Amino acid sequence: MVRYFIWISLVLISIFSAFFGAVDINLHDLSNPDSLGYKIFFFIRLPRVVFAFFAGAILALGGLLFQTLFRNSLMTPYTLGISSGAVLGAGIAIKLGLGTLLFGFGAIEIFGFGGALFSVLLLLYLSYFLKGLGQNSLLLLGIALSFFYTSALMVVFYLGSAIQNDTLIRFTMGSLGVISWQKPVILGFCATFLSIVIYMYRFDLQLFAISSQHATLKGVNIKKTTTILLVVSSFTIGVLVSMSGPIGFVGLVIPHMVSRLYAQSINHLIIKTALFGGMFLIACDTLSRTLNTQSELPIGIITSLIGVPFFIYLLIKK
Amino acid sequence: MIKIKNLTCSYDKNIILQSTDAVIEDDITILGINGSGKSTLAKAICGLLDYKGEILVDATDIKNLTFVQRAKLISYIPAKLDVYDRFITVEEFVLLGRFAHKGGFSTYSQTDKDMAKSMIKLLGIEHLGKHTLNSLSSGEQQLVQIASSLTQQSKIIIFDEPTANLDPKNSKKIAKHIKELKNRYFVILITHDLHLANYIGSEILFLKDKKLQHFKQSDNFFEPKNLSELFGVEFDGMDIKYG
Repeated sequence: MVRYFIWISLVLISIFSAFFGAVDINLHDLSNPDSLGYKIFFFIRLPRVVFAFFAGAILALGGLLFQTLFRNSLMTPYTLGISSGAVLGAGIAIKLGLGTLLFGFGAIEIFGFGGALFSVLLLLYLSYFLKGLGQNSLLLLGIALSFFYTSALMVVFYLGSAIQNDTLIRFTMGSLGVISWQKPVILGFCATFLSIVIYMYRFDLQLFAISSQHATLKGVNIKKTTTILLVVSSFTIGVLVSMSGPIGFVGLVIPHMVSRLYAQSINHLIIKTALFGGMFLIACDTLSRTLNTQSELPIGIITSLIGVPFFIYLLIKK
Repeated sequence: MIKIKNLTCSYDKNIILQSTDAVIEDDITILGINGSGKSTLAKAICGLLDYKGEILVDATDIKNLTFVQRAKLISYIPAKLDVYDRFITVEEFVLLGRFAHKGGFSTYSQTDKDMAKSMIKLLGIEHLGKHTLNSLSSGEQQLVQIASSLTQQSKIIIFDEPTANLDPKNSKKIAKHIKELKNRYFVILITHDLHLANYIGSEILFLKDKKLQHFKQSDNFFEPKNLSELFGVEFDGMDIKYG
């Protein structure tokens, strides 16, 4: 019952989300391509809703993937410092004032991906020395690295000009604001790619979710599979973070919410987690645009303010 | 047949088994004092642990096998199963035994599903099919793990202290299953329970002082005098003398 109520609300909010915001849009505008309402709806609001959907899907899937691979509820790209690495990479690109580079991807995206990939490889490399110390050490390592990247970003701030720093600060607050369809389309490809790869590996992940020993015994090449999945997810998360800045909380909590709502094993939860994460972020973004008409609230604030009470409710309720 | 040649296993700098050899032709029971390396040996055979030397199964060095090939050859049943996934059901868990057989990224076939079902039936745990793994008792978990191993269709099955966490009734049930499986599989049993080892009736591999020592049926392993010598405590029959 709770399940249906939540899904129906999310779907309804997602459908009508593009109609909410600082400027009211009526249905009449939508048939008139010359009206301001038409332009706002099709080139600002709708791309933003689509962007939010794919961003939420990537964040939630990333969380599900990390939690499963490492069998720890706190493991996410965010807590392990992958997002901070991406932010640092993107921050350096902003500081250097780099423009468009290759294949339509901007320098910021490429640096963001580079930062994410660097941090995941460093984490994997260092984790080989953690033999026998368990998952908690890996988590600690990730958190420590995360602090390191954040401090390095402070150095970038310190060296930056006032104008660069303003861009940087807004970037680190996280935002889903996009103009035109380029970013939503790129992110859509990334989200689809990530979903397909995770879905292909769903039975491997089901074994991972039992234990790494069990996965090995049943025929999974753990090192190879972990590396492939981490590199693919770092790629998508790197691209996302370089476009939106860091958005916390979604990756940590959405996978838990979905698994509590359904009480099913991981291979049944992949698509549901992606859809839930996507629509959850649309709902949060809709609120961030409508609560205060003077300016938008940063999206990270809303995700936590709504998500935390809801998560506590799910934790307590059996 | 399993041939162990010049095997050395260690955790960090702590050497557990050192340059030891053995030829295991048929079902075997591995005994030894705590820390003598029983589970270490089993884990080396399963690919869970790096080692120096050679372990050959029917003349194939298992180091050369892929994970999938190894899973088709050997399955391992630990004393206790730690499961992170709180929602996986018995049916799903047993079906995962077919992972190495399904091939690549394909899904499980009807044959795979039928086999999982028939193994669940064979072990008499149909009523647990929809239960989650975490809700089971230790005895039920052992039965589920056996079903999963049978579904894996590996030639060799390793039981690592299967009765360690079980009450007498469940121990008996599991012991019967193990004895039955000896007819169709190469069963390696690791245990501390001398009564169980005696009941299963395989030859004995005793681990002591970082070496493997093979006892054939004619070697009267279960003689109190022999047991006292090996374990370093006095025995009365197959039971230790307390007091």
